[in-house]
Amino acid sequence: MSSWLDYTINGLIVGNVYALVAVGLALIFGVSRLINFAQGSIYLVGAYIGWVAVVQLHTPLPLTIIFVAVVAALVGLIIERFGLRPLQNSVRIAPLLATIGISFVLDQLVMLTFSPNPRALPSQLPDVRFQVGGGTIGPLDLLIAGVGISSALMLFVFLRYTKLGWAVRAASQDRDAAMQMGVDVNRVNQTVFGIAAALGGVSGLLVGMYYNQIDTAMSLQATLKGVVAEVVGGAGNVPGAVVGSLLLGLVESYGVAVFGTSYRNLFAFLLLVVVLVLRPNGLFASARQAPPEPLTGTFIAPSRPVRIPRWALLVVAAVFAILPLLPVSFYMLQTLINAWLLGMLALSLTLVAGTIGQVSLGHAALLAIGAYTSALLSLTLAVPVGLAIIAGGLMSAALGTILISPSFRLRGHYVSIATLAIGEIVSLVILNWESVTRGPIGISGIPPLSLFGYELTSPTSIYWFSFAVMVVLALLQARLLGSHLGRSFRAIRDDDVAARAYGLSLNRYKSLAFIFGGFAAGVSGGIAAHLYSYINHETFNTQQSILALTVVILGGLGNVVGAIVGAVALVGLPEVFRIAAEYRILIYGIVLLLLVRFRPQGLLGTM
Amino acid sequence: MSNINRRTLVKGSLAAALAGTALSRAAFADADPILLGVSGPLTGPNAQYGTQWKQGFDLALDEIQAAGGINGRKLAYTFEDSQSDPRQSVAIAQKFVSDPRIVLELGDFSSTASMAASPIYQRGGLVQFGFTNSHPDFTKGGDFMWSTSVSQADEQPLLARYAVKSLGLKKLAVLHLNTDWGRTSRDYFNNAAKEYGAEIVVTEGYIPEERDFRSTLVRVRDANPDGLVLISYYSDGALIARQARQVGLKQVICAASSVYSPKFLELGGDAVEDVHVGTRYFPEDPRPEVQKFIAGFKKKYNGLEPDAFNAYAYDAMNMAAAVVRIGGADRKAIRDAFAKVKDVPSVIFGTATFDVATRRVKGAMNAELVVRKGQFALWDGKPT
Repeated sequence: MSSWLDYTINGLIVGNVYALVAVGLALIFGVSRLINFAQGSIYLVGAYIGWVAVVQLHTPLPLTIIFVAVVAALVGLIIERFGLRPLQNSVRIAPLLATIGISFVLDQLVMLTFSPNPRALPSQLPDVRFQVGGGTIGPLDLLIAGVGISSALMLFVFLRYTKLGWAVRAASQDRDAAMQMGVDVNRVNQTVFGIAAALGGVSGLLVGMYYNQIDTAMSLQATLKGVVAEVVGGAGNVPGAVVGSLLLGLVESYGVAVFGTSYRNLFAFLLLVVVLVLRPNGLFASARQAPPEPLTGTFIAPSRPVRIPRWALLVVAAVFAILPLLPVSFYMLQTLINAWLLGMLALSLTLVAGTIGQVSLGHAALLAIGAYTSALLSLTLAVPVGLAIIAGGLMSAALGTILISPSFRLRGHYVSIATLAIGEIVSLVILNWESVTRGPIGISGIPPLSLFGYELTSPTSIYWFSFAVMVVLALLQARLLGSHLGRSFRAIRDDDVAARAYGLSLNRYKSLAFIFGGFAAGVSGGIAAHLYSYINHETFNTQQSILALTVVILGGLGNVVGAIVGAVALVGLPEVFRIAAEYRILIYGIVLLLLVRFRPQGLLGTM
Repeated sequence: MSNINRRTLVKGSLAAALAGTALSRAAFADADPILLGVSGPLTGPNAQYGTQWKQGFDLALDEIQAAGGINGRKLAYTFEDSQSDPRQSVAIAQKFVSDPRIVLELGDFSSTASMAASPIYQRGGLVQFGFTNSHPDFTKGGDFMWSTSVSQADEQPLLARYAVKSLGLKKLAVLHLNTDWGRTSRDYFNNAAKEYGAEIVVTEGYIPEERDFRSTLVRVRDANPDGLVLISYYSDGALIARQARQVGLKQVICAASSVYSPKFLELGGDAVEDVHVGTRYFPEDPRPEVQKFIAGFKKKYNGLEPDAFNAYAYDAMNMAAAVVRIGGADRKAIRDAFAKVKDVPSVIFGTATFDVATRRVKGAMNAELVVRKGQFALWDGKPT
């Protein structure tokens, strides 16, 4: 029985850690309706600034905290001024993508400055422990709890009872109206970013002290857990973020208690999906809060797509088709094979995110389902590889649609967060369902690609095969978009209320889009499995999902040719910058930021 | 077939156009260094290991150059950043395979990235020398896959003997990284520990990103073991040790050699005092290979203490040099040379020779260490 007390205390402690990140996220969402994917990077910056203060400047704790808060706030102000303010009249997706780009840049800058080796960040509090239940609590635990709860309270008071706080709330409810009433919206945004960044920085410092170690890879995990906690609590709701964080910590802790350590994150993401299904706006969305906007105009940039003449497309396709006959290196062919595989994934995502407006951040899960299905069928049941890949596509279509269907009633950012969670759940199920997926050992010895009994092992033949598959899928999709069905998809995207009033069944059309998209992604995953001959649960990860989203936004949402152009560009860019070694992700991040800044509707525009 | 002919034609005419430059280059070919390709992470979540590789490689190369290189030619490497991502490691593999200057490939870091690239190296006839690839299937990828990665089949029984026989622990809790390495190691460890007569009362796997182990440790406490066994890397190993002490667990802790790093002491602080580590090498090992490595490393990197990954990379580069010395600059001859090298001086293995059947090195060194006063020391046989 005493163990349950311990699990409860542990859950609350780790929940407090999450709360530090979640509060900053909630504050920014409240004002800008923006999920700030750079919050984890500010947390990382804070941890390293703290390291400089503690280890090199030997500042006492209060001074350390102030120092970190000030520097982090400055970083936040710079991000707001130069990264996000230029995008404020742009589509919603542009700042979202910009925060992803900013996080690449910040993470890499920290890594280049401090090296990727983990460092010890000693706690500046005395190491005494108080016995509680079978476990113990220390002063740092209490400090973290204090910072989490008091910052939430102070923010609550600030938003409710100060003039600037009112301005913040006014700006978050209706930006234009607030401006007309004389609110300086830019100052509001600045204030909020400064506060959120200061909080983020301090949280990095405290968490670093708590674990006595910091490393440059800690930002993505922090962002993920922070986002989950925030959305569980109700996005934009500051006290909700604290409660959501504590709940998340408790659920994880109890999950470990009952099922064991390897299931920990599974419960975190299941909690998120369950909450979103039961209460689509989070636990503490108040009745007075404006309902989340439908996707009308949320993510879709108004633009005239670039019309490429049919002959030009044919010429380009012909050039790519005969490329292996030209004197090009196998390295170039392999890079393009990667681009075609990513292109198939992007076709899938551009359909569901662009054409029907369900922005998915968990698309790598569809790759994984296709890859495992195809690999296992060909390996254990000796199904011919060609058929196995098709089966992989069908399995992704079926399973993917079923898994994603609970998110159909969600809107806006909530769809992307739900799909993010579903992506993580699929990955964790693959890790834990050892009798079928072989768990962390992965599947090795997957037979190579073959067609009608002929093995395709040379880069040339794999190139032609993957290019042909992608072209067929692209032609099918282009045909689909031009049809009545495609128009219905776009109607749902542009105004789902009107579409429903017109008699369109939203769920049915969304399912159709996911079935088609799931097939394309599953085929891509299947081909990848046979190409690599070895896959495990890490082969298709969250970064792959984010990359796919970047591709389709770069190309222009819903744009078939754009998806392929985006895939070639984003597979190609890191390869082009390969000579820059450690700097290439930094350059990649900057290029991404510039693209978002100057061409938010994508290279070829939204269809 | 006509396609291939056309392609060769086009390539041929281009080659003819470039012939002038090619000829002048060929004349100087012997002055060019013999080039190795390295595929590994320099950015991304595993970037630290790529950095450590470089340190080990560069030290080994300094020594090889000073000793006259490879039959008078210099040895060099080109490091391509894969982020340990299979998509990038396959592209790098094609790049290396089609670059005639590269005679041998080292890496990648993770099994996911390495094994995805294996078919390309195998078909391209370029040796993929994976010196951190302990996945049991890595060398099954073909006869161009060789590894000096510490075979867990060798190492884990030694750790089990240390824990059960030397330290007398009868009931063990095993915490392991839930990766291919951690899982394989855990199975070898658990089997060996049971053979030595111990009971495994609880096994917990955790993902590499995990930072919070308090609830896991409550499970461990409730199982009431005599000792904790960590199949971890140094960063997570230090975290577990710290949190175990914080939640009041006082049991003996044993850890696999992969925690052997000065970083383990730095990150773990007082909590890793008295932790027992079975390891491949330790600085006080009097063998000249080890002393030369440590002295050279500290001299080159301003007093920095080397760790296990530095040593793996250093050994791998020396092994590569030994193989290239026999095989010359010919890829296939290099593959055959792996079967021929005998007793290469090595930090990790004493002297290293490949087992031709498994294409791995057998018989790692093992020392029983314990952390005393913030330093790794040879265990003196006293219980803690």
